[in-house]
Amino acid sequence: IKCCISNIPCGIQNSVEDELELSAVRHRPEALEQLEAQTRFSRKELQILYRGFKNECPSGVVNEDTFKEIYSQFFPQGDASTYAHFLFDAFDTDHNGSDFVMGRSILLRGSVQEKLNWAFNLYDINKDGYITKEEMLDIIKSIYDMMGKCTYPMLKEETPRQHVEIFFQKMDKNRDGVVTIDEFIDCCQNDENIMKSMQLFENVI
Amino acid sequence: MAAGVAAWLPFARAAAIGWMPVASAPMPPPPRDKRRGQDGLIILNVSGTRFQTWRNTLERYPDTLLGSTERDFFFHEETNEYFFDRDPDIFRHILNFYRTGKLHYPRHECISAYDEELAFFGIIPEIIGDCCYEEYKDRRRENVERIQDDEENDNNKDMVLPDMSFRETMWRAFENPHTSTMALVFYYVTGFFIAVSVMANVVETVPCGSGPNRAKEVSCGERYVLAFFCLDTACVMIFTVEYLLRLIAAPSRYKFVKSVMSIIDVVAIMPYYIGLVMTDNEDVSGAFVTLRVFRVFRIFKFSRHSAGLRILGYTLKSCASELGFLLFSLTMAIIIFATVMFYAEKGSSASKFTSIPAAFWYTIVTMTTLGYGDMVPKTIIGKVVGSVCSLSGVLVIALPVPVIVSNFSRIYHQSQRAEKRRAQKASKQTGQALVCKSNPTFETQHHHLLHCLEKTTNHEFVDEQTYETSCMEVSLAKPSMSRSSSLSSSPHGLSSCCTRRNKRKSFNVPNSYMADGRRSSIQELSTIQIRERPMSNSRSCLNAKFEETVHLNSEEQSYITAAVISMPTPPVTTPEGGDSASSPNFLQSNIVRVSAL
Repeated sequence: IKCCISNIPCGIQNSVEDELELSAVRHRPEALEQLEAQTRFSRKELQILYRGFKNECPSGVVNEDTFKEIYSQFFPQGDASTYAHFLFDAFDTDHNGSDFVMGRSILLRGSVQEKLNWAFNLYDINKDGYITKEEMLDIIKSIYDMMGKCTYPMLKEETPRQHVEIFFQKMDKNRDGVVTIDEFIDCCQNDENIMKSMQLFENVI
Repeated sequence: MAAGVAAWLPFARAAAIGWMPVASAPMPPPPRDKRRGQDGLIILNVSGTRFQTWRNTLERYPDTLLGSTERDFFFHEETNEYFFDRDPDIFRHILNFYRTGKLHYPRHECISAYDEELAFFGIIPEIIGDCCYEEYKDRRRENVERIQDDEENDNNKDMVLPDMSFRETMWRAFENPHTSTMALVFYYVTGFFIAVSVMANVVETVPCGSGPNRAKEVSCGERYVLAFFCLDTACVMIFTVEYLLRLIAAPSRYKFVKSVMSIIDVVAIMPYYIGLVMTDNEDVSGAFVTLRVFRVFRIFKFSRHSAGLRILGYTLKSCASELGFLLFSLTMAIIIFATVMFYAEKGSSASKFTSIPAAFWYTIVTMTTLGYGDMVPKTIIGKVVGSVCSLSGVLVIALPVPVIVSNFSRIYHQSQRAEKRRAQKASKQTGQALVCKSNPTFETQHHHLLHCLEKTTNHEFVDEQTYETSCMEVSLAKPSMSRSSSLSSSPHGLSSCCTRRNKRKSFNVPNSYMADGRRSSIQELSTIQIRERPMSNSRSCLNAKFEETVHLNSEEQSYITAAVISMPTPPVTTPEGGDSASSPNFLQSNIVRVSAL
């Protein structure tokens, strides 16, 4: 999946890979020149990114289970599987496991607008253009799940719900119970903390 | 943390953008990253070993890594070669594939390492040449079985889930007797009773000297009827209780009832109950006596106690095809020889070979080289046929037996290995703990990521002990429950573990991360227990380290924010989506005990 963020297309399998099958499922990325032209990465960066990815994932295919496993290694104290699932859905927009179209460089090199778009897409679980409270609650709960049990102060049942309330109070300007993309982007752009945070992960390579 | 996961770090960090809009606190700045990363003949440099080949050679197979444009990603401009950070020894075979078109599997290589290299270079294993394919498949199958064995053992053994229900505990005790003393006792008791029952069955039939009223000898069973009956009753009761307990504890009752062991159990105890129910009807009691034969099945209950017996049964099951072949070929041979024998001996007088089925017995006895001698051919032709029969018998039986034996040996050795591995696992883990290396750059980045998550949720990671202690200090007494309920939207505000622990009238003020509407309720707090945030937890230590590289403010300071103490008025640190500057302070500050308002 790293490839898809850095815009090196890789195959994302929705189906479970059968380990015992002898035929390895592979995926081939597009040519380096093509990627260089399409993305905002330099040639060197693409090389480095792809090599790293290829080392970890030799067959070039990442399915949702691998995704979850990787995430759970980063957040060992909690349960990262739900959030990984949402991330996976957010990346796999064409739902057919084929090449990821470019534009994944959004996350690293895109403009703030594009990043916010992506975040909105992540929160909007059913991709209908509106974030409802239930969707937000699911997302927030999955983020809290990653924290795990042993936190300080202790996680309570209603903490995610409160978080959702705060979020909606901030974002939902017309109080219609859903957050549209315009409300979201508007509000984020006016919030300097969020803006500052968005700049943080620029230099990932 | 596996070092291999380091490659996924950029992805994980990038995906953290998803937390930004919902974060309650501003993110910490990232650590400074000083990473720098570099037809004719093609030079392939694999970990220092240089291979050279023609470009055309590689492009013969355009759907592999080396044959397609994918190799451009590995091009190193400075040295004008393609650099791969892989195993040069295995790479040799892969390059040979391009040269000769045949992929070979070196016997001395580890199968998983080889598979990984193949996957990396995009070569599917099916094209392994015939010379090496069998070996490859065998090794692969062994590896898979070993992994499955390991997984099974990991799952089954010593998995003490604290939340296991009584039923699950009971089932675990049945399946793995060494997990608890009770289970072990139960195991030995049932074993003892099985042995007793089987012995009783055997001794019952031994002649015991003549009874007082009879002329001939009677068996012990008929002499001491009552004693044997009591013994039988006791054993059957134990077995019944055991069966019922297993039935109750089984996670899937239907599957349990279908399993072989439970059928054996049922068959072992049925005769007794049928005997109880049955009247003393003459015809029926004849059949009943036959039923008693089934009591011998109790001996199969020992297979729960003996791993070797289970292996034998499993071997026979896995060699079903060989056994089938053996049976079939024997039957064919028997029929043939019996027929020939019958017609050969038909002429001679007083021949015992009265019919072909009668000759079957002779053939079987001869082919298995038993030779009882109750039926012997008298004519010359008969003797010739008889000798051919015995020679071929040896051959036919000797052929499938080694296959069965090798199967048994393989399975037996596997189980031995599993035992050994389990014993080695403990020492291996301690060894690994010492060898664990970590990549410092990766660690800082990873900690930054975790820190961001903490900021997003406004909670901190703590370790187990700190969590336990904090749990202990928080409790809700009943009276304060009503008050605290206004704090939290639901009655079960704090985690249940704490409510059970102690009844001190104190509880933590939840962090500033409360909804705006709840401000007023804070006034109703009776006591607020605030304490020093323990500095020993891992996160804070890491944060401390962080400070050297990153300028984070107010990490370690221990001061009391005025906001917390000012109870009569709503706290100053009202969260507005966590944007207020003082909220991080609040989060990390210590909490001081404040007496009642």
